[in-house]
Amino acid sequence: MDYNNQYSTTSYGQSGGMNGGGFMPGSQGDSPSGKKSYGKDTLRPVTIKQLLDAYHPNPDAEHFMIDDAEATQVTFVGQVRNISQQTTNVTYKLDDGTGIIEVKVWVDTDAMNDEGESKTKVAEQGYARVYGRLKAFGNKRHVGANVIRPIQDHNEIQYHLLEATVVHLHFTRGAPESLQQGKGGMNGAANGMGAQQDGGYGDRSMPSHMSPAARKVFACIKTTPQTNEGLHMQDIATRINLDVNDVLKAGDELQGLGMIYTTVDDHTWAILEV
Amino acid sequence: MSESTPRITAPYLEQFSHQTVRILGKVRQLRGEQATIDAGGQISVFLNRDSHLQLNHAVEIIGKVQNDLSVRVMASTDFGPEGGIDFNAVDAVVDVTHRYPEMFYHKEQ
Repeated sequence: MDYNNQYSTTSYGQSGGMNGGGFMPGSQGDSPSGKKSYGKDTLRPVTIKQLLDAYHPNPDAEHFMIDDAEATQVTFVGQVRNISQQTTNVTYKLDDGTGIIEVKVWVDTDAMNDEGESKTKVAEQGYARVYGRLKAFGNKRHVGANVIRPIQDHNEIQYHLLEATVVHLHFTRGAPESLQQGKGGMNGAANGMGAQQDGGYGDRSMPSHMSPAARKVFACIKTTPQTNEGLHMQDIATRINLDVNDVLKAGDELQGLGMIYTTVDDHTWAILEV
Repeated sequence: MSESTPRITAPYLEQFSHQTVRILGKVRQLRGEQATIDAGGQISVFLNRDSHLQLNHAVEIIGKVQNDLSVRVMASTDFGPEGGIDFNAVDAVVDVTHRYPEMFYHKEQ
């Protein structure tokens, strides 16, 4: 059983596993691909079908992708079909109408006395909410859960499914703000965004976590006529009326995302076409 | 994927005949083995021995849609008095289920 081993690679050790923070992205030297940087941990609401459809970005990757976004912690609501008490864990079979998946909650002997009571409240045929990580063991998938709790209000089922839909649309069609762009009558940054969408960047949407400054800088480089040397940050700063330091920061961010690259010197940037 | 039970309302019955579906509705009539529930329209359901429906309660039914668009109940879950459930949200869930099926069920072409 390398379950334990796998489990310790999650953030379980950090304040009970619910806490993804603490690390800055890129502050860990161990993997340039950023494969295990918990700073990027997110908690995403999903349907069980999305978990079953999740895929590995490459054959030996440990993490899963959903809608081309890395899925770390996930949460969902489902109906408990079966509960089976094992020596090391409790296995629940959950069905949310989109699929069925097993959820394992590890038995923590120390916490047994405190939590034993609340755990028993999850009942067969009742609905429960799960927080955890998707795991693959052989060909079988399960969710290693930090928390499973019975739901009190049945509206939470609808709430969860709608929330999961919003997040799905966010990743597949972009944030609502970028969908509203180009509806006419918008100012500089918005027009730039519009241009970006039909531009060489294809229909690949911008990462949702980009800062507004980075979006502006990107749009500026994208739309300003230039040589193949790109634009200098001073030039960008005057064009979009932003402090040079902010432009510099935005430039770093965009380079980190692989969206721009440096040309003649460190402060002259061009769009990285893919 | 046979394991998914798409959430539907009455207008979707025909599209899902002979399939196993999930319906959240309000119990309107109880007649022994048979009942009528309201979920975007009246749906007549045939109960099994384990289903305990209560009038004016919200109930979630998993069942198979028959030829005559009635539903044979396989499992039912009581969701409490119907006033406790926001049916606008329920309708929204059915809407997104069929608008974005990639998240919810395997759609046969």
